[in-house]
Amino acid sequence: MALEAYIIHILIIIGIYVILALSLDLAIGYTGLLNIGHVAFYAVGAYTSALLALNFGTPFLISFLAGGIIAGIFSLVVAIPALKLRGDYLAVATLGLAIIVENILKNWTSLTRGPLGLPGIPKPTIFGITLTGITYLALVIVVGVVTYYLLRYLIKTPFGRILQAIREDELVAKSLGKNVTKYKTQALLISAFFAGLAGSLYAHYITFIDPTSFSILESVLIISMIVVGGIATLKGAIIGAIILILLPEALRFLPLPSSMIGALRQIIYAVLLVVLLIKRPQGLLGKKTEGVVTT
Amino acid sequence: MALLQLLLNGIIAGSIYALIAASFSLIFNIVKFMDLSPGATFVVAAFSAYSFHILLSIPFILAILLALVVTVITALLINLLVYKPLRKRGADPFTLLLSSFGVFLTVTGIILLIFGAEIHTFGLPIAKGYDLFGAIITPLQVWLVIISVLLFVVLFFFMKTTKLGKAMRAVADEKQVAATLGINVEKTTTKTFVISAILAGIAGILVGLEQNIEHNMGFAVILKGITASVVGGIGNVSAALLGGFLIGIVENVGIWYLPSGYKDGIAFVILILFLLLRPQGILGTRTREETSG
Repeated sequence: MALEAYIIHILIIIGIYVILALSLDLAIGYTGLLNIGHVAFYAVGAYTSALLALNFGTPFLISFLAGGIIAGIFSLVVAIPALKLRGDYLAVATLGLAIIVENILKNWTSLTRGPLGLPGIPKPTIFGITLTGITYLALVIVVGVVTYYLLRYLIKTPFGRILQAIREDELVAKSLGKNVTKYKTQALLISAFFAGLAGSLYAHYITFIDPTSFSILESVLIISMIVVGGIATLKGAIIGAIILILLPEALRFLPLPSSMIGALRQIIYAVLLVVLLIKRPQGLLGKKTEGVVTT
Repeated sequence: MALLQLLLNGIIAGSIYALIAASFSLIFNIVKFMDLSPGATFVVAAFSAYSFHILLSIPFILAILLALVVTVITALLINLLVYKPLRKRGADPFTLLLSSFGVFLTVTGIILLIFGAEIHTFGLPIAKGYDLFGAIITPLQVWLVIISVLLFVVLFFFMKTTKLGKAMRAVADEKQVAATLGINVEKTTTKTFVISAILAGIAGILVGLEQNIEHNMGFAVILKGITASVVGGIGNVSAALLGGFLIGIVENVGIWYLPSGYKDGIAFVILILFLLLRPQGILGTRTREETSG
């Protein structure tokens, strides 16, 4: 039974990262917004949902949606630099923003309890059924599938095509009369909304969150997933998430102290990212293009 | 009084940020991407100095020199194995930035694997500090500030007068033209990485001697170095000194008004404000196509 529980656990974690990778791919892959701070939306979603449930006892579905909505609203703050800055300037600004969010989570102790974290987040109850194990997995799969099909639909609509036009050449999109600012803001908003939902799913599954769950390393992990799978391919984001969660799991079975396993995980992620960027920038499923994104 | 102490602390921290900012600026100028690897060479230098001096009991000066050799070799390997193939393919700045993040995590991961997560210390005897109107500064901290400022003077004259310095500035300005004038761009780039690594390495050793060393000491430092560089005027090496001191002072004096836990956040708020309002920095001149389009 322990093995079954373990497999379900891994599948739930994969599911949460699939949602994160899909949502980030909309910003980086399809719109060309080089966001290194995606983890900030994930954190805002997780804390919003957990705090609502803990302080006001809101039903799961409400705190879950609130996690996504508040993360989306927060993205409007990020949108201000996102609209003005290009390329690697935006990358550094979003990196800074993620660190500011982590800093606030650690220090706003009256709200977040700081490094102590928030324990005892309730498991979700939907229609009187408390979701744990396999039923929780079902919930994650439902959210993941909805995210995938919604994004897949979105990128095929005129809206999605304009985003890709902005990625390819902002000036051309502008000269065709498209309000580039508006489209970028909307893309970031949708991306943040789904990251917020993923945060809520994480918080109510682990039932404990603290600032260390949302360090900038998480952002690197999510970016690696979409690079591994192939940037601007939704299926690639899914495959990338599966590979990058499963790969270090194999380390668990080695007879090593946990601190070394942590170091090895970090090295595996990082080396894989670098090697792929050098050898196969288009990822496993991506079509051949120059570089990761053309800026 | 305490405010003067915070100001002094700011100057001490600022001289480290300034060195990292210079290390970052050199690469940004010549290779045109935001490189996080000075954060890695910073840590490598601190841990190598610690290993040679404390673990292998090699005399201090020799240990420092050996540590710098290890740091330079690390930088050369990073350039050879990662950045050079990417440059050859004409990778965009974001790919290079992302790969430098990977490099940073690989290097710090290896250090974590070897030395563990615990804090290490050189265990230097604590010298009695000088009393400066009630604020305390230790002799080592005085040295730290002096060495940092001296390195900037050397760097300034190096860039202005030596052949390599001039070549570096030529490549920074216009790569194609520099190449047609017979400057070996690839060699100049490699040498830039070496100088950048030495600056970051010295900063790492100084911090190691003055405080503690741990595997993740490089991340906050490189981000503040980038901030200092942006604030001073990105790509302007002398401006890095100004930016470094400014960030060090603002974040240290800032905790006079804010809870000390917010110290790290202050620098990044300044970073984002500058990127939005004055992306060319205090001393920079505006180049439009670089920041907005």
